[in-house]
Amino acid sequence: MVKAVHYLNQFFAGLGGEEQADTPPMRLDGAVGPGRGLAAALEDAEIVATVACGDDYFAEHEEEATAALLELVRAEAPDVLVAGPAFGSGRYGYASARVARAAAEAGIPAVAAMHEENPGVAAVGRAVVVPTGPNVAGMRDALPRLAALAGRLAHGERLGPAEEDGYLPRGLRRNRQYDRTGAERAVDLLLAKLGGDTRTEVGGAHDTVPSPPPIPDLSHALLALVTEAGCVPQGNPDRLASVRAHAWLRYSLAGEERLEPGRYESVHGGFDVTLANEDPNRLVPLDTVRELVGEGRIGELYDCFYTTTGNGTPVATATTFGQEIAAELRDAGVQAVLLSGT
Amino acid sequence: MAWTLRTFSSDVLDVDAARLEELAADEDALEALEVDVVRGGEPVRITHVLDAVEPRIRPDGRAAFPLEPKAGQGVTHRIDQAVVLPCLDFPGEERPLHEQESIVDLAGPGSELTPFAIGTNVVLTFHGRPDAGHRAIDSSTRRVTLAAAELLAALTLEAEPDREETFELGPVDESLPSIAALVQLSDLGQLYQLYVYGEPAGEVGLPRVVDPAEMLDGAVTAGEYHWAAMRNPTLFFQRNSLVTTLYREHGKRLRFAGVVFMRGYEQSAADKQRAADEAAHVAAEVGADGAVITTDGGGNSHTEVMLTCRACESAGIRTAVVLAEETDLDATEAILTDWVPEADCIVSTGNLEELVPAWRPERVLGGDALLDGTPAADVAPIPVRNYLGAANQMGQLCAGAMSW
Repeated sequence: MVKAVHYLNQFFAGLGGEEQADTPPMRLDGAVGPGRGLAAALEDAEIVATVACGDDYFAEHEEEATAALLELVRAEAPDVLVAGPAFGSGRYGYASARVARAAAEAGIPAVAAMHEENPGVAAVGRAVVVPTGPNVAGMRDALPRLAALAGRLAHGERLGPAEEDGYLPRGLRRNRQYDRTGAERAVDLLLAKLGGDTRTEVGGAHDTVPSPPPIPDLSHALLALVTEAGCVPQGNPDRLASVRAHAWLRYSLAGEERLEPGRYESVHGGFDVTLANEDPNRLVPLDTVRELVGEGRIGELYDCFYTTTGNGTPVATATTFGQEIAAELRDAGVQAVLLSGT
Repeated sequence: MAWTLRTFSSDVLDVDAARLEELAADEDALEALEVDVVRGGEPVRITHVLDAVEPRIRPDGRAAFPLEPKAGQGVTHRIDQAVVLPCLDFPGEERPLHEQESIVDLAGPGSELTPFAIGTNVVLTFHGRPDAGHRAIDSSTRRVTLAAAELLAALTLEAEPDREETFELGPVDESLPSIAALVQLSDLGQLYQLYVYGEPAGEVGLPRVVDPAEMLDGAVTAGEYHWAAMRNPTLFFQRNSLVTTLYREHGKRLRFAGVVFMRGYEQSAADKQRAADEAAHVAAEVGADGAVITTDGGGNSHTEVMLTCRACESAGIRTAVVLAEETDLDATEAILTDWVPEADCIVSTGNLEELVPAWRPERVLGGDALLDGTPAADVAPIPVRNYLGAANQMGQLCAGAMSW
C-alpha cells in the first residue's frame, strides 16, 4: 500500500467558508471531504493525511504558506501528493498548483485537478494537472480520473502522452513511435481538415519582436555590427562552437578598415563557409560600413563587433544571448545594429 | 503512364566486394573503398553515413538512376530489405560539416529510429584523397554509390520476383477530394542538395509537376549532408510513404493530383515568396483541393514551407505540413523554426533534441570516431538529430513528438 497526501482549501477541508479563508496551513488525519471519494477510487493507495490552507491566507502569504505546506507534506513521506480538485476556483487552483509544484520539485510525484482555464494551470510547473469541469458538479467525473493518475504516479509509473493519459500537456515534447507513418497521418489529417475537422500534432507559436521606431537620422547614430555567422579571428582563439554555441564573443574593430581574409574566418557549421572565408566582409560588412561612415551617412561605428554561431542553438540560449548583447550595446549608447544572419 | 516495380528477395543480393571496389578505383578523388555486409539486429553502429539507397536495376538496360527524364516508365527491379549505406569522413582541413554526425544503429535503442535495422546493409566506407577537394570527393562517392546499388541488383535479372506492383493513376470518382504532394528538395550548393535526374534541384526549374512514379523510380537522389535526422536519403524517395499512400488511396478516399517538386533554400526573401506563390499556383493548376507539404532540411527551408502553406491556403488549397521539432528538453512549448497561423494542421516527425540512451556497439563501421572526436563505440546519449533520417520531414517513418 502506497501513501498519498491530499491538499484541500478550507472549504473542501470542512473548516468553513469565506469566513475561514484566512486559516493558516494545517494538517488533518486521513482523508477529508472529497478525499473520501478519492480514497475510495484509489487502488492500493491510502490517504494518510490531508493538508489544508485558507485561500486568502495562501494568497497573502504565498511563499510562507507553500513552504509550511511542503513541510507538512514531507513529514508524511508520501509516494504522491494530490491537490484539489479546484475546478474553476482561481485562488484554490493557484494554491493547489503551487503546492503540487513544490512537491514535484522536492521529488514527490504530484498531481492537481482543476479546470483547464484555471490560472493555476500555468503555475504547476512539471506537476501534472487532471482537467475537470468548471465547478463542483464535475466532482464525480473528476475523482476516478484523478485517482487513476495519482495511483500510477504513486507506484512510480512513467506517464504516457498527455492526450492518452488524460492530463493537460505540460509543454514537454517527447518522441514516440506511432503505428502509422508521418505521411499516412498527414493524409488522414488533410482529409479530415477538408471535411471540416482541423487538427494538428503540434501547435505553432509566435514570438514576435516588435520593430522599434525608426532612427530619425542615421548620420548621427552610433551603429554596431552583430552577427550569428560564426565570424571569429583566424584560428578561433576563443573556441567559438560551430554548432550549438554556448557563448557569444566580442572582438575589437579598432584599427581595422575591413575584415581581411586570412585574419578572420567563419567557424559556422551550418553552411559551406568557402565563400565567406574568401571575404569575411560578406559576414560582417565592415568594409561597406566604414565607407558609409566616411561618407557621413552613418554617424559612427561602435568599435567592437559581437559574434556567435546561430546553428542548432536552443531558443532559450539564443534569447539569453540577445538580451545580454542588447544590454551591453544599450549601455554603450549604441542606437542601431546591423545584424547579419546566415 | 504505367510503371511496374518488381520486388525480389534479398537472397539475390549480389555482393561482390572486388567489383564494388573497382568502381571506386576508377575515381580519381577516391583513395579507397571498404565493403562490409551487416544485418539488422547485429550490435553494429555505422557512422558518417551520407545516404541510403535501395538496390535497383532495369531489365531494359537503362540506368536505375537516370540522367534523362524517363523514370517511372517500363519495369524496375528492387531488392527488398536491402540498403546501400555510403559512409565518408570528408578529409582534412576542408571538412565542411564539422560535428554533423550521421549514425545508423543496427541494434540498441537507436535502432528504433531507423528503417535499416531490419534487413541487409551493404556499408561502403569511402576514403577521399586528401587533396581532391570535398566537392570532387562527394561527386565520386555519389556516383559509386548509385552504381553499386545497380550492381547489387544485377542477379534479379535472372530471378523470379516475389511480387509485382503497377503504379498508374486511372480515372476515378470526380467527387473525391483531389490531393497533391508538394515535395521540397534542398539546394544550398553541393553537399547540401538533392538531385533531380542528376542535376542539382535548384537548376532544374522548380517548382514543377512530375509523375509520382518518377519520384519512386530514381528521379531524385540525395547529396544533402546537413542535420542527419532531417535528411531525406535517396531510399526515402524510392520507397516514399506519402506517394505510395496517395497511390493506395487514389479512388478510395481521394484523387491523387500529382507530385510537385519545389526548391528548399531559395536565397532571398523575395525568391522564397515567389517560389511559394509559384508552388501554390502549380498546385492549383493540377486541381488540388488539398496539399501535403513536405520539408527537406532545417533552418530557412522551414520558412519556405510556411510561406508555401500560406500561399496554398490563400489560394483555397487546404494544407497539411510535415515538420520536425527542435524543442529544448526543458522547454515549455514545442519549438518550430518558423510558423504561420495558416499552418493549423502539422504532422510532427519528432523532436530532434531528444536524447537516445547510450549504447555500446560491438562493432563500428564508417569510422571509429564521431566527427567531434569522441569514440563511436563509447559515447554518452546521442541526440536524435544525429541519426540518419530519424525525424525526416517527408513522414517516411512512424516517429513523432507528443505533448507530455
